[in-house]
Amino acid sequence: MPVHLQGPWSPLLGRLSLHAIPYNNSIILFAFALAAVAAVAVIAPVLYFKKIPYLWREWITTVDHKKIGVMYIIVGLVMMFRGFFDGLMIRTQQVLADGPHSPHFLDALHGYIPPYHFDQIYSSHGTIMILFAVTPILTGLTNVIVPLQVGARDMAFPYLNAVSLWLTTVGAALVMVSLFVGDFSAAGWVGLIPLTELPFSPGVGVDYWIWAIQISSIGTTLNAVNMIATIVTMRAPGMTWLRLPIFTWTTLSTNIIGLTAFPVLGVALALLSADRYIGTHFFTAGQGGNLMLYTNLFWIWGHPEVYFLVLPAFGIFSEIIPTFSERPLFGYVTMVAATFAIGGISWLVWLHHFFTMGAGPAVNTFFSVATMFVGVPTGVKVFNWVFTIYRGRLRFDTPMLWCVGGLFLLLIGGLTGMMLAMPAIDYTVHNSVFVVAHFHCMVLLVAYAIFGAVTFWFPKVFGLQLDERSGKLFFWTFSIGTILVFVAMFGLGFMGETRRLDYLYDPQWLPLLIIQEIGIGFYSLSVLIFCWMLYVTLRHRHAHVEADPWGTSRTLEWLTHTPVPFYNFAVTPQVNARDELDWRRRGGMDRKLPDGYAPVHMPSNTMVPALIGLFAFGFGFGMIWRIWWMAGFSIVAVIVLVIARSFQKTPGYILSTDEITAMERRVEGSSIVAEQPSRPPLVEAEVH
Amino acid sequence: MAAHSRDPLTHPEVRQATTGGYAAGYGVSVILMLGALLITQQHVLAYPTFLWLISSLVVLSLFSQAALFFGLGLSPVQAWKSVSLILALPLFVFTIGLSVWMFNSLYPRTMPAMNMNTSQPTLLQ
Amino acid sequence: MAIPTHETSHATPDSVLWQPEVEAHDDLAARTLGFWLYMMSDALLFAGLFAAYGVLDHAYNTAGGPGARQIVHPLDGFWQTLAVMTSVFAFSLATVAMKMRSRPGVILYTSIALVLGLVFIGLEIADFRALIAQGAGPDRSGFLSAFFVLIATHGLHMVFGILWMLVMIVQVARSGFTEHIVARLLNLRLFWQFQASVWVCVYAFVYLRGAF
Ligand code: HEM
Ligand SMILES: [Cu+2]
Repeated sequence: MPVHLQGPWSPLLGRLSLHAIPYNNSIILFAFALAAVAAVAVIAPVLYFKKIPYLWREWITTVDHKKIGVMYIIVGLVMMFRGFFDGLMIRTQQVLADGPHSPHFLDALHGYIPPYHFDQIYSSHGTIMILFAVTPILTGLTNVIVPLQVGARDMAFPYLNAVSLWLTTVGAALVMVSLFVGDFSAAGWVGLIPLTELPFSPGVGVDYWIWAIQISSIGTTLNAVNMIATIVTMRAPGMTWLRLPIFTWTTLSTNIIGLTAFPVLGVALALLSADRYIGTHFFTAGQGGNLMLYTNLFWIWGHPEVYFLVLPAFGIFSEIIPTFSERPLFGYVTMVAATFAIGGISWLVWLHHFFTMGAGPAVNTFFSVATMFVGVPTGVKVFNWVFTIYRGRLRFDTPMLWCVGGLFLLLIGGLTGMMLAMPAIDYTVHNSVFVVAHFHCMVLLVAYAIFGAVTFWFPKVFGLQLDERSGKLFFWTFSIGTILVFVAMFGLGFMGETRRLDYLYDPQWLPLLIIQEIGIGFYSLSVLIFCWMLYVTLRHRHAHVEADPWGTSRTLEWLTHTPVPFYNFAVTPQVNARDELDWRRRGGMDRKLPDGYAPVHMPSNTMVPALIGLFAFGFGFGMIWRIWWMAGFSIVAVIVLVIARSFQKTPGYILSTDEITAMERRVEGSSIVAEQPSRPPLVEAEVH
Repeated sequence: MAAHSRDPLTHPEVRQATTGGYAAGYGVSVILMLGALLITQQHVLAYPTFLWLISSLVVLSLFSQAALFFGLGLSPVQAWKSVSLILALPLFVFTIGLSVWMFNSLYPRTMPAMNMNTSQPTLLQ
Repeated sequence: MAIPTHETSHATPDSVLWQPEVEAHDDLAARTLGFWLYMMSDALLFAGLFAAYGVLDHAYNTAGGPGARQIVHPLDGFWQTLAVMTSVFAFSLATVAMKMRSRPGVILYTSIALVLGLVFIGLEIADFRALIAQGAGPDRSGFLSAFFVLIATHGLHMVFGILWMLVMIVQVARSGFTEHIVARLLNLRLFWQFQASVWVCVYAFVYLRGAF
């Protein structure tokens, strides 16, 4: 029963035609030029230095958790750049389009972006930042760090890990393609209903949004399975639950949320797709649909999702702050309890995103009180960090700066959240930019944690430290941007500016809008400094770093070599204390090497995950443009691949004692960026 | 990851399979559902009693399946499965229960009155 | 393994720092745990669908079309219950046969389970066709949308289970009980038993409650 569509459709190309390519839109042409330049800048050196075989062998077909993590982070950073650009355009439009006499450029009546295009920009900004930037970066960080922290050689399911990566990448790729082929959803990152229904959004934009999220969230769910199984089953001997580093604890809690919340998002989107593709009436306004049901399902996922983002950030703080305070974390057990309390309560509060729906006072009160309860464990955490800092021997290296900045954001975001948790207040500020400022404090706190974490663990992964001077400059410009944009935004919220406006009617807002524009200018500057930081770092790449470059790190990941060899630990460590490295250091044993080595069994690379990703892209693209043969063929191909892989014997290979001994002496040779000699797979290892 | 030369058939999860247990799980589930069917066909109970009774039969049947089919318990191989199930159970209740509750509180406040006698009872009535 | 029971404040030269012997992760247990976690996720998918059904199963949502009482047949549903339960029982017996190292036993019971699964799907398709023929298809009303999609999602799971059984029959016949195959059979058992649990909820809350 496929629904009746407006506009042309052909069996071969579905809804796709040359008109889908917006070659006459100057802004998109500019974006295309930018993307093309970036692509050439990446591809040309790869071709010039003949690195394709290297990329294929060492990265695309890899099942190594560290490389997968690094690729997640790269995808996330690229998407974050795109999201930043969207933000820049939004701010610039708003400052230009304030008041009836505001200037107009290109084909806009006010500002320089016409409304429909503007709507797509903020929709993609939110979708990208939450789902394709921050989520993958955090997933990447946990991928890199958690197996090392628990003393494992890899994740529980290395092959599944690669599948997750490629599914997430496909989602990101679909969002990027929507920029140049067709258009993107104009219904906000939350998918405002009934605007997302076919009669009101007849194009492919909403379909891009649906399938990009749907495919990547399958990846996220699979990754959650993998993470939980890794933490439960792969801990090194002696790593009891109460010796687990806090970052690993928060990863566990986050992935429990991921595992249980993402399927509900899947349901919300699947039911919406059913409405759009086969004409059901889940969320339509007539025919017995219930549009608030969509909002309900979306936020059942949506609120746990914000804690999915923030918990790893809390974990990062809990690793960095003790390291740079040279003290053990204060209140470890309460920290663990708070982590799980937050995870649990995050499931009971979602209605606070639609207090204004009009459910009865009992319902609103229940969710309001539950929301405020989140403050309790969050407060516990904040006090724990503060007590860790108290009387510590503080050092303000860049990671620590990001943490302290993040704590301020947590304070402001948390307090404004508490205000919003009261229905009486929420009724007046709901859908104003006050809410936008609240949650930007929160997600920026996550971004701060991410930048702190990248700086903190960069040397571990790559064997070179990010340049501190430009790192600090990056921090300060970024923070000035944050203050200017969001303090002004709180003010505008109180003055009554509502969200998502392409035209602002009140000229009195102009001063604050200009302050915001200056703020985004600082952000832009910080992006340049970030790139400069990478450049300076690479120029000095031959500086030598220790296993523990910060000198005061505490957990297991700093015990192995820097850069980490691809097999993580030549010999599995025995864990004797909560802060194992610190414990060894105090006994003067932190550099004691194992007495001898034993052969190590490693999983072989495989190209199946990347192929699954390729066909998942085909499926998504086919569904979006309603090219049924393509979608059908791709999904069958995925199933066939999975079955075929199950017939393959996958015995892996063995690193011999000699090889390990040699590599332990010459660490760079075993680093994850080095090219490895090919090793023959084991033959007939499956004995039965 | 490792290619062990252990015999997989000695694994406790393989050993856990028993004909008797499965037969019992099968029998109990079928009988409980049969009971639920009969209760429904009688049409004698009031709606709340009926709903409670049916729900209890479902819960019993799910319990028997957890114990007899899945073999959940506290043994080392099964403990984590039991824990994760117990952690997930409240989420089912929240998701379904709170959703139904909020819409039941919404309808009387936002929808035109409807003659409820002709309609079906909802989950909470 | 010598694991010290209490933490000393720092390492000493005779602390045990490395464990060269550990390579003994229990892969089979990790795989079934991983699969079980996936099933928890799947269960929440059904929770979401049940929430949607619970909300849409209201007189407001029938749009003048039939409500649950007009379209469900508890007795017909019971035959489906019987089919799915017996199929699960049969597949469980297949894993008992695996324990007995009997390849033919596994193949026989799996085939029985597979056929019963097909019977279930057949009954469901017949039911759907009848409803659509009456003009009570999923596009008729919000309520019917929820009804069809909830039940069809369970049905789709059953179809995947059937496909999986086909694959397992071939693999057991070809290679016997390797570690990978044993893990897959154990996971399939979890998956199949889980379908029975979901169906119990569907049967009670859609068919029986609907018929009240
Ligand atoms: C102390 C804890 C928190 C409280 C009490 C709280 C409260 C709230 C409330 C009541 C709203 C709804 C406002 C409205 O739409 O009218 C809201 C929106 C939001 N919050 Fe929070 N929040 C908290 C923490 C967080 C965290 C940690 C994050 C993210 C990491 C976050 C992200 C968001 C987002 C993204 C939205 C708006 C979504 C949208 O409508 O687009 N919040 N918060
Ligand atoms: Cu929220």
